[in-house]
Amino acid sequence: MLWVQGKKGACAMSQVIEVDGLRKSFGRREVLHGIGFGVERGEVFGVIGPNGAGKTTTMRCLLDIIRPTSGSIRILGQDPGVAGPKLRRRIGYLPGELFLEQRITGRRLLAHYAAISGTVRPGRADELAERFNLDLDRHTRKLSKGNKQKLGLVQAFMHDPEVLILDEPTSGLDPLIQQEFRSLLSEVQRNGQTVFLSSHVLSEVQQAADRVAILRDGDIVRIASVANLREGAHRQIRISVTGVSPAELEVLLRDVPGLQTNHVHATGTLTDVSATHEGAIQPLIRALAPLQLADLVIEEPDLEESVLTLYGSATKHLAVDSGAGGRTQR
Amino acid sequence: MTHSAPAALELSKTLPLFRRALLDHWRSTAAWAVGLSAAILLYLPLFPSLGNSAEMQNMINALPPEMTRALNYDQIASGPGYTQATIFGLIGFLLMTIASVSWGASAVAGDEESGQLELTLAHAVNRAQVVLERALAIGVRIVLLSAVVFGLVWLLIGPAQLGIDTGNLFGASVLFAGLALLSGMTALFAGAVSGRKIYGTAAGAAVAVLGYVLNAIGRQSPDLEWLLNLSPYHWAYGNSPVTNGADWGVAFWLWAISAALAGLSAVALHRRDVGI
Repeated sequence: MLWVQGKKGACAMSQVIEVDGLRKSFGRREVLHGIGFGVERGEVFGVIGPNGAGKTTTMRCLLDIIRPTSGSIRILGQDPGVAGPKLRRRIGYLPGELFLEQRITGRRLLAHYAAISGTVRPGRADELAERFNLDLDRHTRKLSKGNKQKLGLVQAFMHDPEVLILDEPTSGLDPLIQQEFRSLLSEVQRNGQTVFLSSHVLSEVQQAADRVAILRDGDIVRIASVANLREGAHRQIRISVTGVSPAELEVLLRDVPGLQTNHVHATGTLTDVSATHEGAIQPLIRALAPLQLADLVIEEPDLEESVLTLYGSATKHLAVDSGAGGRTQR
Repeated sequence: MTHSAPAALELSKTLPLFRRALLDHWRSTAAWAVGLSAAILLYLPLFPSLGNSAEMQNMINALPPEMTRALNYDQIASGPGYTQATIFGLIGFLLMTIASVSWGASAVAGDEESGQLELTLAHAVNRAQVVLERALAIGVRIVLLSAVVFGLVWLLIGPAQLGIDTGNLFGASVLFAGLALLSGMTALFAGAVSGRKIYGTAAGAAVAVLGYVLNAIGRQSPDLEWLLNLSPYHWAYGNSPVTNGADWGVAFWLWAISAALAGLSAVALHRRDVGI
């Protein structure tokens, strides 16, 4: 659990989503094993995990589409199972799998959803559709997957809900639209709207969210800010120096916190080291500063990998092979 | 387009789900109306040359009596009997049942299986409202189709020499609608309980088919007559309403049981997880 209820009583009041001890079983199979988290007002909170980790189940519980086996849920201070339509009016929801097969135009479909949700400001749907470059006069079933996703986003955002629950919101969107989506997220965040979103790709969440919950097999493995997560991640480092022997260099680097030397070898006057590093960068730089550096490569921390180590060792190998993460030369 | 949007929006605020259901299905409703009309226009104009002729009566007499009773052809030589046996009792009954059962099964279970119900329920509606508005839309569509049948048969009374009393025709149409509605609401209920369209369809079809079969068997001998009590088909058509007028008590019960099934469907959906 991330927050202490007794101590931060006042803080919990401002929490828009509070989940505590949430369990859900389908028949004998328990898919959520008592998870808990809180989302502050105006926060973008991401949940990531592999498919089947329980992200969609959690979201469906929040909307009272499925009922928790035990545990408590509070959204805007109310229990979704009791508050019903009045509460859902204040929520915008994008389902993970969006099926829009009606023979009607996007505009008519939005008018229908507007009729069963909170008040939609005139022109708001058109405004959002324009931002996403979506034609509302086309029949929904003829839309491509990406365009259906845009329509789904418009219906989630159009009544300016206090809470947005978005299951894999960027799936199927091209990079430009993803960027538009992220700028929309910062806008609604500035409006004080709260966003709870999920993804199975970390890079999506790390760009959009303030904090991330990592879900694995129905348990929250960790809740952390994106910055914290980054700190805990491993950087790949390569160092080339002149005038120092491999043995001397190993001694020099031995005491740098978080540094793990993997491989040291000398070619001519050059000594090469490859290593991994986690934690603060400053001590490393200080240790390297007196050396005659020929080359230094520090790769951007691979969050994907660090998260996947939390998922479990089996998936880790897969992730390393896929080689995600950019590199930076300094 | 944009300027008309607020007006359209305002209009769709009363019973939004009912309106959406009607609009979503207007094509299929029109198609069923065409099908029913085609059947009526094929069968009834043939009555003067077929049912009303001595040869036809001789042919019917030559059939095994069990078969005649099973097909309700025992009164086929009269205009009302012919209309009862061919349209209300057979082809119209078949078409209406298929329409009603498919609507009933798709209203909740079909929508759930296709993944669309989840998004609807995530909005500011409650589940009972979803079920009841959609059930109402099915009822309205069935009434519309029955009105088409009533109107078309009524127009053909003179030209096809059917000699049907308008009041009796009306009563038969009400029973016809009630019978179809019963199957449709059974399909809705089974779908709402199970979340599976196939179970809804099976249950709705079972009510219609078993009703028909029990009627056919029950009419074979006095020993089997008790089976007739179990047949909604026999409740509705046992006294040949086109000839003799409707039993309004039966009509009431068909509609009342259907309404109760719609209510139970709302309760069933309210209690369970959706879309798993």
